[in-house]
Amino acid sequence: MKSNSALLIVGHGSTVNPDSSTPTFAHADEIVRQGVFNEVHCVFWKEEPSLRQALHLIDSDEIYVVPNFISEGYFTRTVIPRELELTGPITHRLGRTIKYCDPAGSHQRMTDLLLRRAAEVAPGVPPSETTLFIVGHGTNLNDNSAVAAKREVQLIAERGLYAEVLNAYMEEEPLISKWDELASQKNVVVVPFFISDGLHSYQDIPVLLGIESEITAAASQRGIFRNNPYRLRGKTLYYASSIGTEPLFANVILDQVAAFDQLHREDAE
Amino acid sequence: MGQIVIQQSAPGFELRHFEDAGRNDLALYSNPVEARAISTYSDAGEFRPLKTAPTLRHGWRLQLPDLESLRTALDFFYPAMLGSLLSHERNELLPVDLRETLGRQSGMYAVTKKITDPQADALIETVCNSAHGCLKTILWQIAPDRPVTSLPAEKFNPAVSQIPAALPVLPMLCAEACNLLVAAAREVVKKVPVAE
Repeated sequence: MKSNSALLIVGHGSTVNPDSSTPTFAHADEIVRQGVFNEVHCVFWKEEPSLRQALHLIDSDEIYVVPNFISEGYFTRTVIPRELELTGPITHRLGRTIKYCDPAGSHQRMTDLLLRRAAEVAPGVPPSETTLFIVGHGTNLNDNSAVAAKREVQLIAERGLYAEVLNAYMEEEPLISKWDELASQKNVVVVPFFISDGLHSYQDIPVLLGIESEITAAASQRGIFRNNPYRLRGKTLYYASSIGTEPLFANVILDQVAAFDQLHREDAE
Repeated sequence: MGQIVIQQSAPGFELRHFEDAGRNDLALYSNPVEARAISTYSDAGEFRPLKTAPTLRHGWRLQLPDLESLRTALDFFYPAMLGSLLSHERNELLPVDLRETLGRQSGMYAVTKKITDPQADALIETVCNSAHGCLKTILWQIAPDRPVTSLPAEKFNPAVSQIPAALPVLPMLCAEACNLLVAAAREVVKKVPVAE
């Protein structure tokens, strides 16, 4: 219990897609429900409340900041520390202590979450006859998320459950649009390595997969999510929603707080 | 606050759009978290990334039992605005001039440093005006010696309501240019042809 502390979850947000911030708010609601913190708030880079407004939202003197990002990178290393005026893992400012945790997506539990999501989306389909794709964005700007996606693929492959585990990207090789050529198995499960069902995972990737012929409206503005499975290009395709929408992600955020405490307790000893 | 009228309603408070004052056909909500959904889209169904835009939808009322739930609801309707006002009253809300905000941008927004003062002034009029842009009261300047001149003096006065209604007001204070203005500044800089 951290009944004297605040949790601040930082999301990217979007000025055009209302679904971008939805999982961040959902995880905050779940953590509020668990009653772990005195207060729980979300702030965003592209929406309100902004990072710059964060401290005016919070009454508590101890604040844990967890980036709801899929990996370490430009936002977690440059933008968030700059906008929150952090000086390191622990910042003392105006009588407050701000503890800056690792991003949710870099926690070791992510591997289990990806496997869980893959199993959920294709019930009854034997993994031993399935190719599993973990799809990232894949440009130089998002290099760190590509590295993180590769690491997850390796960890999942090491467990030996799936016949094949592959990385694919939207904008660089191996391209997800060639999923049918890349996959050796007749069953194909695709899990987007993204925080929300925003532009990329809900609107762009379905077109690249061939399950939509053109960009659709945002997820929240359509009645249904997906009609799995898709019989396409001679294979059976199952497309999951983004890993960041997994309800257990709330627990991963809490795990990052615990990991921070453990690390800095060891430092103090 | 903003476009919302807050009324005492035993045992707590009732919130509604100020233009819905006389209506009795409003959808009733009682959970403060509903404020998030109410404030996500405008009447026209458009997404509202800027919650202080003058586009709050009509047709609802929100009954809240106590001050705590009122604070929660207001933080969803107008994020951080109550806290910013309280910080302002403690002299802890420190305005940051636009040049300083742009000066610390990196990545795709680093280019915003190139915006000229007259371009910034014109952009602020378009993005921040209370009629169509944003209902916050601006506390910052373009630079320490360069105020914003494109908007009326009332836009910078916390004592003046930013909506066309004679109601006592909890001002929504803007201590620093938001990301929407920074993003718009990038568009201005990118579109301007190189001077010959």
